[in-house]
Amino acid sequence: MIYDALLMLWDCSRNAKVSQPEPLSYANEGDSIVLGRIYEIAKSHHEIQNFTLGTGFHSRKSQTSAGHRSNGLYGQALSEGISEVLESYKKTLKEVESLIIGNQNYTLAFVYSYVEKFQGLFHTLNKIISTIKERRLSGCQILSLVHQCILSGDKMVHEAILKIFTCINNVFINQLCTWLLYGDLRDPYEEFFIYKTKKNDVSDTFLSTPSSSNTCDKSLVSTLQQTPLDCGYNINPNMIPYYIPLSLAQEILFIGKTVILFGFDPKKVKKHSSLTNRSMLTLQKMNADSRRFTIWEEKEAEFHEKLQKLKTPEYFEVCNLRSVVREIKECVTKHLWAVAVEEAQLIHELHLMKDFYLLGRGELFLELLRLTAPMLDKATTRTSTRDMNHAFQLAARAVFLSNSVDVEKFSFELPYVKPNISANSTIEDGSSTVADGWSTIILKYDFKWPLHLLFAPEVLARYNDMFRLLLRIKKTQHDLHALWKTYKQSTRFSMCQLHNKLMFLMDNLQHYLQADVLETNFSRLMEAVNKTNDFEKLKKAHATFLADILSQSFLTVTSCNDSDSGDTLDSINNPVFCNIMELLKLCDSFCSISDFAENKEAEDYYIRGYSDKFNKLVKQLMQLLVSLRDRPCGVYLARLLMRLDYNRWLSGEAQLTQSVTNMLRY
Amino acid sequence: MPSEMITLQLGQCGNQIGFEFWKQLCIEHGISPEGILEEFASAGSDRKDVFFYQADDDHYIPRAVLLDLEPRVIHTIMNSPYAKLYNPENVYLSKHGGGAGNNWASGFAQGEKLNEEVFDIINREADGSDNLEGFVLCHSIAGGTGSGMGSYILEHLSDRFPKKLVQTYSVFPNLDEISDVVVQPYNSLLTLKRLTESADCVMVLDNTALNRIASDRLHIQNPSFAQINTLVSTIMSASTATLRYPSYMNNDLISLVAPLIPTPRLHFLMTGYTPLSADHDVNAAPKIRKTTVLDVMQRLLQPKNMMVSLSPDRANQHCYISILNIIQGEVDPSQVHKSLQRIRERKLASFIPWGPASIQVALSRRSPHVTAEHKVSGLLLANHTNISSLFDRCLQQFDKLRKREAFLEVFRKEPMFHESLEEFDASRGVVDDLVHEYRAAATPDYVHWNPVSFKLIIASHRSRYQYNDLLCNVSTLWSTQSQCMH
Repeated sequence: MIYDALLMLWDCSRNAKVSQPEPLSYANEGDSIVLGRIYEIAKSHHEIQNFTLGTGFHSRKSQTSAGHRSNGLYGQALSEGISEVLESYKKTLKEVESLIIGNQNYTLAFVYSYVEKFQGLFHTLNKIISTIKERRLSGCQILSLVHQCILSGDKMVHEAILKIFTCINNVFINQLCTWLLYGDLRDPYEEFFIYKTKKNDVSDTFLSTPSSSNTCDKSLVSTLQQTPLDCGYNINPNMIPYYIPLSLAQEILFIGKTVILFGFDPKKVKKHSSLTNRSMLTLQKMNADSRRFTIWEEKEAEFHEKLQKLKTPEYFEVCNLRSVVREIKECVTKHLWAVAVEEAQLIHELHLMKDFYLLGRGELFLELLRLTAPMLDKATTRTSTRDMNHAFQLAARAVFLSNSVDVEKFSFELPYVKPNISANSTIEDGSSTVADGWSTIILKYDFKWPLHLLFAPEVLARYNDMFRLLLRIKKTQHDLHALWKTYKQSTRFSMCQLHNKLMFLMDNLQHYLQADVLETNFSRLMEAVNKTNDFEKLKKAHATFLADILSQSFLTVTSCNDSDSGDTLDSINNPVFCNIMELLKLCDSFCSISDFAENKEAEDYYIRGYSDKFNKLVKQLMQLLVSLRDRPCGVYLARLLMRLDYNRWLSGEAQLTQSVTNMLRY
Repeated sequence: MPSEMITLQLGQCGNQIGFEFWKQLCIEHGISPEGILEEFASAGSDRKDVFFYQADDDHYIPRAVLLDLEPRVIHTIMNSPYAKLYNPENVYLSKHGGGAGNNWASGFAQGEKLNEEVFDIINREADGSDNLEGFVLCHSIAGGTGSGMGSYILEHLSDRFPKKLVQTYSVFPNLDEISDVVVQPYNSLLTLKRLTESADCVMVLDNTALNRIASDRLHIQNPSFAQINTLVSTIMSASTATLRYPSYMNNDLISLVAPLIPTPRLHFLMTGYTPLSADHDVNAAPKIRKTTVLDVMQRLLQPKNMMVSLSPDRANQHCYISILNIIQGEVDPSQVHKSLQRIRERKLASFIPWGPASIQVALSRRSPHVTAEHKVSGLLLANHTNISSLFDRCLQQFDKLRKREAFLEVFRKEPMFHESLEEFDASRGVVDDLVHEYRAAATPDYVHWNPVSFKLIIASHRSRYQYNDLLCNVSTLWSTQSQCMH
């Protein structure tokens, strides 16, 4: 009888089911109930045992062929942990057995008194197991689940679960350690909370495709910041243990990714980048020894030790994990900063971005415009790109820049689009559907290795938006200036005056963009860059810079209240920007018309037309200020208008109330 | 090599300020007096090609033409360490070396005589540049060569190079002290007419104001020519800074000039510079310690820093037509907007009521080879209606002499004034018109004032044509005479 019970408890039968013992004749009255209780314990032990056998180390060989996913490293660790815990149970059983052998008089209750204490433990374990099975948990989720059970009033359960957790945690820490220090994801069963994305199809277009996401400034900053570093690894939010906050997980992801980055030999990447869209998938093909782990220097051992220390359950606290991760991150970002700033001369490259994308080298673009303006006026042809680059070289030579290597990093592209509709060849304005060079020109930039972290395709597309606007304005200004001498010799005051107004507008618009927007923000960026030696902060500063100049140049897509939500797809619909574009068109057509204003009447007619349109647009711009005053964009419009309306002439002309003029005080 | 400028230096004064200008440019670009680029300056990103070109042996040669009718100043230059800098072919001295005797008419006549030789040099120089933007003429309006020959060259430059800009740095005589050139009012007025009609942009350098600044601001008791010329060269180099140190804007002369000059004839610009420091004794001069953008911009608007002496005109409310500030040094760009805002709110500058106007601010780099005492320095280029008071004074002085018919015989000696003195009256008319136009530009009615001015222009044109005919007659007469003599 007792032996039956012991056998049952030992779980000798490898059957799928332990059968409920028959109520036989018992020595005592209550024995049947005791036996029943013992049976319950035995049953739960059996289930646990089954689980450990199913997922344990020994079963792996037999099951790998079957392709079971359920028992990964974590499951294995769990079962190892459980069987470790069960050792004490088995020890107790042995003890009981020896006692019973020594003294036949022990009753079933005696046996029960020994095994009763395991009931709670078995219950908890079974709960864990059943939860795992029910929810099909795997990997870090198991870790998370076990961690949840650590806190228990029952001391034995607490210690046992802690033991199990330690087992699983070891696996986790090991994975974390290889990921953090070597960027190596040793995760055959996809159990870690970081996974490798199957395919990243980042389209490498430089063309602007204003995504709907950047509706307001803050999200623009974040999109500009997040787009880089998309190197094939990502966080699986379901897998993150509940005690690790998302931010920490992201930091962990970032460190690993960065470490992977350093693994690249810059020259090899360059070769690959041209072929495979700079995808990071080439990583796996690389030889492990070719990576240089110069990041850590002597700190590698230190970090390793710190991470290993986390294995001890007493020490494993989220705050400790966080502090180690932070420490590593600091080291990584500093190294990244060193690579970017010192080796890749980031600051120099930023100046180049300003000089070229933001027309910092005015004289170069002046010369370029002189050479290419007629070409860009027309629709692009197949040879445009080549001609443009040739002209760029000529211009660079003319201003003595040709020998500098910096110029070679930049090149133009004029995407040739086949005109889909039969080209409406009428010269009338308004039919500007045919894309001319001004709206399609792309400036390409070949940057050094780790800088793609900053200059992601999305970022370059934004820079190109900026570039096109600035180039367009510069061209218009240049055209107007070219007419100055002509009008100086003419005696028509009204014509002079109109020309003067347009020129004033263009000059001040450019002054606003270049000084108030670009110079100001760039000096702020430089300040931030010089202050920090943390690459993350640097990246953030750059993203902020770009977002700021875009919004201050009215190049953002604003979600217009609710009126026209229909067509915000492929054009920048900021009302201020539209207005500025209209003014630019007006100036352009003024420049072209002035060639054939032959008789006085026609001239008068043109002057009146242009003046009216100019006044209308300026008035519109001023009125926009009223409607935009609550938005950040309104502040910058006020700044622009402050320059334009410096002597309060325009507002007087537009017959605006005093209140609008007062609003210019920003 | 886009937007090159050719500098023409005329007469004693023109050559002196030109010499100082080139000296300053050489220092700023790190070019030795022999034209060789110094070792330390080889990596600069400045544009030397606007004002210099390179010879076969790579040494830098100024795009300068030196002209004078008397040898003194040019000989001084040719004996200075900078002698080898210039292209000797561009140095032209009249063969007789007698000068123009401070007589405008003589200078003008000699200019006509030497026309071919002078324009040969200019044409050659123009051909040597890729995309010539314009000419810079340095001269004084009071003497004989700079004013007379300068006038002749001005008239013909716009004929020969109609598309090119002509900018002049014109030194106006010191009216506070009695000049040794008694016919100075005549010379000034005759030159002013050409400056009004043929130049695109005149930078007025008023000797009266320069002397005042030297004594009041720099505490130099008797300012020497050299000290005054240093002031001038500071202004000249600062006003070309954006051309030579490329930045985002104002990379060619037109972009500096066009926004400043909205109407054809009102093209006389005043300059101001701050902070000024004299190099004779740094400790004596009150040092300006704090230089921020706002400080500099505010100081530039003070009349005492203006390099043109303006007499207060109570009858008219004068105002700025336009302002361009070129700020050099370590500038926080965000200050520009704040300063503009402050000036606008405090109404520190009043502007024309008939059109848009503003203060434009160009930020420019400094030469890395010159150690600046101040963090920020600024140059003001302004088109102000009160500059008419300067012309008004010229008119008054002219009238004083003319009424007495004084010193006219030296002019009558020259062929142009043989028969009549109509040229004097025509010039007076032009300058008078200019004064009136400036006064009108201070009022909102300037737009409507136009028809009157239109008529006046026509009238002046007509008189000019008549005079041209006259001139033709005179010159043919003169040539027949000379033929007779031969």
